[in-house]
Amino acid sequence: MRKFFLPFAALFLSATPSFAAGAGHDHLPVHAEELFRLGPVAISNSMLMVWIVAAVIILVAQLATRKISLIPTGLQNFVEWLVESLYNFLEGILGKNLVKKTFWFFGTIFILILFTNWFGLIPGVGTVGQYNPAGFGGDSHDTFRPFLRGGNADLNMTLAMSISFAILWFYWAISENGLVGFFKHIFAPKGKFSGIMAVMMLVVFSFVGLLELVSIIFRPVALSFRLFGNIFAGETTLETMTAITGKWYTAWLPPIPFYFMELLVGLIQALVFMLLTAVFLKLICEHSDEDGHAHH
Amino acid sequence: MFYHLSILANSPAAEATDSGIAGTVKEIATNFKILPELFIPQVISFLLVAILLKKFAFGPIQAMLEQRMQRIADGESKLKQIEQQLADSAKHTEEVIAKANADAKRLIEEAKSSASALSEAKAQEAVATAQGIISKAEAAAKAERAQIAADLKREFGRLVANTAQNATGGKLTADQQRAINEESLTRVEA
Repeated sequence: MRKFFLPFAALFLSATPSFAAGAGHDHLPVHAEELFRLGPVAISNSMLMVWIVAAVIILVAQLATRKISLIPTGLQNFVEWLVESLYNFLEGILGKNLVKKTFWFFGTIFILILFTNWFGLIPGVGTVGQYNPAGFGGDSHDTFRPFLRGGNADLNMTLAMSISFAILWFYWAISENGLVGFFKHIFAPKGKFSGIMAVMMLVVFSFVGLLELVSIIFRPVALSFRLFGNIFAGETTLETMTAITGKWYTAWLPPIPFYFMELLVGLIQALVFMLLTAVFLKLICEHSDEDGHAHH
Repeated sequence: MFYHLSILANSPAAEATDSGIAGTVKEIATNFKILPELFIPQVISFLLVAILLKKFAFGPIQAMLEQRMQRIADGESKLKQIEQQLADSAKHTEEVIAKANADAKRLIEEAKSSASALSEAKAQEAVATAQGIISKAEAAAKAERAQIAADLKREFGRLVANTAQNATGGKLTADQQRAINEESLTRVEA
């Protein structure tokens, strides 16, 4: 199946850009493109992609749990294996207490990023779209608008996930530590000091706390740009490799190795994003979580 | 990729006159189209997707996993309970058997001692009965012997008296006859 799929994918990918390029297509843009508007809300091709992926995930989950039974078989078995493995993996990082509260978010992050990345490799994504020789929005270079774009090849999407995480991170951190505990966790000296040493440590840890604050502020930026950069670079590489021969009948060959690489990158980036967000949460909740266990 | 970098470098945003962090942020926002009408719907879209996935994807699966884990935990708990009951039952059985053994031993000992006492009593009774029989037999034998002796004396006296009558021709006086009888009895008794 895969033998047929990849060359076909490459052919499909190569066909439309060649056609589009011939008609003045402006390569893969760095940003997602607006498809239509629902009132004031702009619907971009990456947002549409995310909805499709989410719908497919929900559909698969519903199919798997339609005739749910205590002894799993087939699709239910696979889906349960996936969710249970992810849950156990996150439990190893976050601990029993925290994973119960937060699994829905980290599970969503991983599954959604992973399948959005992989769906972006399906032939037609980024290559099937609307052609306008006059250019869209008065821009003569912008002659082609794909209906779908890799969800994470849009900085709005990766930033939306990062910002959502940052807000939830504050909420979970404060609910676990309390407001005072939260600030103490960042600024208070770690360890027991007395006399002049205590004063010095207070100054040192206040500075360390400020650095920590800067780090916290920049986390969403780093998270979003890392994911966006990797996925956008992958899509650009595939597009460049497809166009490198300049002939439609050989265009399928150069991107094949990069397809395998992109499958791996898609998995790694999903894992990295989930791991980093989980570790950030664990770091801020570590103290109170240990206390919680000690009390229990 | 280089093409895009060149696009970024030559874009109007890159040529923006804003300086400092605000200028950089503005430039990035313009180049990557981080616009409120695109960004806010993305945030809402992501949160909506997360909530939908929680409700329709992770929810039922996690509920099933928890149900199964609970069932396994219940099973393990029941297994422990059954094992405990089995151990208790084995202990109880051992105790009952030990008690039965002790009771049996005690009963046997009691039976043994009871049988011994009964045997002794019966033996004593038998000895007493035997002694009674012997005494009675001795008394009967003695009485019979005395009777025989008396009969013998009387017969002997009559014989002696008859013999003396015959020898004397019937001329013996009563005193003589008595004296002869006494003499003969004395000799018989000796």
